[in-house]
Amino acid sequence: MIRWLVMLLAVLIPISLLTGDATLALPDNLIFWQLRVPRTMLGLLIGGGLGLSGAVLQGALRNPLADPGLLGITGSAGLGAVIAFYWGFAAEFPPTLLAGGLMGAGIGAAFLLAFAGRAPSGPSLILAGVAVSAIASALLALALALAPNPFALTEITYWLMGGLADRPLSQVEMAGPVILLGGVILLKLGRGLDALSLGEDAARSLGIPVAATLRMAAIGTTCAAGAGAAVAGSIGFIGLVVPHLLRPWVGERPGALLPAAALAGGALLLAADILVRLAPLMLPLSTAPPVGVLTALLGAPFLVAIARRSVP
Amino acid sequence: MIGLSDLTVVLGGHTVLYDVSLAAGPGELVALCGPNGAGKSTLLRALAGLLPDTPTRDPRRVAWLEQGARSTWGLTVEQVATLGRIPHRDRAAAPVTRALQVCGIDMLRSARVDRISGGEARRAMLARAFATEPDVFLLDEPTADLDPAASHAIMRLLRTTADIGRTVIVVLHAIELALRYAHRIVVLRNGRVVADLPPDQVLPAAAAVFGLPIGIDPSPRLLPPC
Amino acid sequence: MSDAGQGTIWRCLLCGLLVLVPVLHGQAADRVVSLNLCTDQMLVLLAPEKIIALSPLAKDPSLSFVAHEAERFPSVRASAEAVLRLRPDLILAAPYGAQATLAVLQQEHIPIVRISLPQNLAGIRRMTRDIARTLDVTARGDMQLERMDAELAEVPHRDRVVRALVWEPRGFTAGPGTLMHALLRAAGLSNMSDGRRIGLEALLRRPPDLLVVPTTPAYPSLATTILQHPALAGIPQREIPPAMTICAGPFSAQAVALLAQ
Repeated sequence: MIRWLVMLLAVLIPISLLTGDATLALPDNLIFWQLRVPRTMLGLLIGGGLGLSGAVLQGALRNPLADPGLLGITGSAGLGAVIAFYWGFAAEFPPTLLAGGLMGAGIGAAFLLAFAGRAPSGPSLILAGVAVSAIASALLALALALAPNPFALTEITYWLMGGLADRPLSQVEMAGPVILLGGVILLKLGRGLDALSLGEDAARSLGIPVAATLRMAAIGTTCAAGAGAAVAGSIGFIGLVVPHLLRPWVGERPGALLPAAALAGGALLLAADILVRLAPLMLPLSTAPPVGVLTALLGAPFLVAIARRSVP
Repeated sequence: MIGLSDLTVVLGGHTVLYDVSLAAGPGELVALCGPNGAGKSTLLRALAGLLPDTPTRDPRRVAWLEQGARSTWGLTVEQVATLGRIPHRDRAAAPVTRALQVCGIDMLRSARVDRISGGEARRAMLARAFATEPDVFLLDEPTADLDPAASHAIMRLLRTTADIGRTVIVVLHAIELALRYAHRIVVLRNGRVVADLPPDQVLPAAAAVFGLPIGIDPSPRLLPPC
Repeated sequence: MSDAGQGTIWRCLLCGLLVLVPVLHGQAADRVVSLNLCTDQMLVLLAPEKIIALSPLAKDPSLSFVAHEAERFPSVRASAEAVLRLRPDLILAAPYGAQATLAVLQQEHIPIVRISLPQNLAGIRRMTRDIARTLDVTARGDMQLERMDAELAEVPHRDRVVRALVWEPRGFTAGPGTLMHALLRAAGLSNMSDGRRIGLEALLRRPPDLLVVPTTPAYPSLATTILQHPALAGIPQREIPPAMTICAGPFSAQAVALLAQ
């Protein structure tokens, strides 16, 4: 499976580099290096981070509906980034945006895992995630109403749809290492997640430090999904869909899913972004819509299907 | 050798175990019996080091199987058994295969545990404990959901395991199995040990616990579950 | 559509609206409230002594060309209750926005003049004269227009064609028929836009000679971060304050001068 995913990426990456906003022409140097390369890298990194985070969260929380977006982690990352941007010094010092996003995501993830320790049942966990999302969006509206920029609300509406377009290379350099660090942390959790599939007590009896494993899952998800959200807004459902697409192929063992989920997440987001870029060629659009719109349109029915199957 | 002395456990404001002591050595098969809520599973957890203030155990030496153990995901039988190798940080195939064979589930090794019968899934979970190759087995009702023939097979396996020098402590649902296979039976009631005796001496205490008049022939078929 | 054709439509609209307020033909209003940023600015320029209140945006220097002068006037939100309390005898408004409030005020028999916002220089002249007449300050209107024409006359002539593109956050451009198009033409530039949105990549594929962008506001703005994209570094940029171009007025001549530099 890993081999197939690598081959898929080997096909998608050149397509992404050759696909522009509504064109398939070979780009000149400037467009290639300043637009296509950052966009492709961001797609791979953010998609991979989201896919991996989804697989880890589903394993750690033992819940097939877990996803950084549904659980409010990307939402609180967006809140943190927005507060940092409008109230901080992001304009003068770009890493503030990233730091704000990471802080928001960290708070969201910490709250959820603390809650998961108390009430591990599936639906109540998802409800806690809904609550985190609701609080994050309420605080976001409040922050925007108080923001010094009168157009903040309009700007954020657009930004929150999530997009990879026109991000400069400097943002890749900023978020990339954080996403990779999160990925390394998450990939090391395989054994712990395998043990957790029998429950927390059984995992502990197998010698797994459960609290530390959940903590590392929270930190890793914060880095891998939160950094992406700080740069590209909230791109939903990649983390939810990827593990479910992979299970029929690589089996259900959580540890086995992790590397495949990172590759498949990158491939899925890259493919969605290519589709979005080609959309103006097929639909009466003057510019490409944000990729978050497409992932949400494709992901939401998927969520309904999973929910019907897994919630008793 | 595994044991606890003078253990009192308070969970959620309720005292679940009062001043309990229990020890078992190599070669012993000890059955924990008692009515629902007597504290059997709590005692087993305490022995496994899973409760606060209980000594943690070396996971390579002590395997614990919880009551009604199941997997969140649709792992295969072989994957479940392989989880037993986690304490050793390997995926050695030989102990896993041996475990699957002794638990009689080898032919289903590629089947998903959520698509086989409850009894087969229970044997897969038991194989997980055997794959660890521990010195001490702490098993909470490993024969639940099994038909009589399968239950006896499992108990024979546990007896053999004890007889080759391992320690087996097992919470049992059916007292006739305890009477037949255990070296010692520990009877618990309301968080206290009321008897810790060989099977041939335990009946009066067991009868008192279960409210049976003394003198009645405690034929296994008439006894309520312990 | 030609400027003349547009102007006719606009003139008919304004005349039709003026018919709604026959009282104005008798005596000029003395207590005027403006509920729209653009009418705010005309009111400040033409008849500051008649102002009872302006819309709150009039004081925002990033949006209003007369923000400094507007500072000394009260603000009023577009709420019927707040406006009624001021007892205005004329309300200036735009054809869009706050229509529910205006409907209530109309029922209270307060004259309302809805000013259509012009999209070219001829329209600016007509609007200025019409508002000046409505406020009974015709001479001031003519003075403003004289100054505008003098400023426009100073715009240097260009020999070669300069292709300019007005590019706003999220790729919005100003195509034919917009005020910005008229200002570009007046500044001697040719407008590359056909009115459709243009992404960064499409822009780089066919780069303009001059990129006209809104001045980065003093407050943090996500939308304008795109203007700092390193890929744009090679294209000459001309920043133009949105306060000069959001509304049309005699001051639009200064925007033309800025573009023509």
